[in-house]
Amino acid sequence: MASLTRNLRSIVHRTLRVRNFSIQPAIVGVQKLPILNQKSSNFDVIPHQRLSLPLKRSYSAKPPLTLDFISDRTMLVLRLYDKIDACKLTLDSHFINDLGLDSLDHVEVIMAIEDEFGFEIPDMDAEKLHRPKDIVRYVADREDVYE
Amino acid sequence: MHSRQQILSLYKSLMKESNKFSSYNYRNYALRRIRDAFRENMNLTDNNQITKIVKDGYRNLEIIKRQVLIGDLYKSDKLVIENVKLLA
Repeated sequence: MASLTRNLRSIVHRTLRVRNFSIQPAIVGVQKLPILNQKSSNFDVIPHQRLSLPLKRSYSAKPPLTLDFISDRTMLVLRLYDKIDACKLTLDSHFINDLGLDSLDHVEVIMAIEDEFGFEIPDMDAEKLHRPKDIVRYVADREDVYE
Repeated sequence: MHSRQQILSLYKSLMKESNKFSSYNYRNYALRRIRDAFRENMNLTDNNQITKIVKDGYRNLEIIKRQVLIGDLYKSDKLVIENVKLLA
């Protein structure tokens, strides 16, 4: 009985030590990382969020979308596309008539939106998305966001 | 005869497939080349010629798919210009 207890104790002891060893470097590693500076202007929110992702594991669902958030993200993507004049861009501007894009550019815009929101837009639907607000609407419908 | 929709979808699949190149140089060359080629032939009206060129596009799509696979087998480090700055 006594030997059994001793054995047990030594096993527990060993596993604890092993755990200590395996955990410590991870903690040191995290602590060594400089903390991201917390700027919170409107445009920083999205890239900031995305860049901070690889540093930690998130097991929860993605942050809840709202219509404003979707339209901010959509407009950011569109503003960053080099053929769109950011000054002329509004939620209501028509890609082809107002912004002077052609159908090939339109395909690329849709691809950028797909990358941003992480789902595929079938060609049938894509050709109906003529204005930024159509895209916002489509993404909101698809993600079940109604307000 | 190829419809406008078919050609746009070929464009999209070419771009998507090219985005998968792990090598920066191949990736950017492919994207640029596809954009240029589609722009260049935008105003073609001769049906025979369009069919020929679209067929060529599909052949190139297959080539890109194969090359992406091969590129994945022989990966190299990312170039310095590709490194995303995580920390400002």
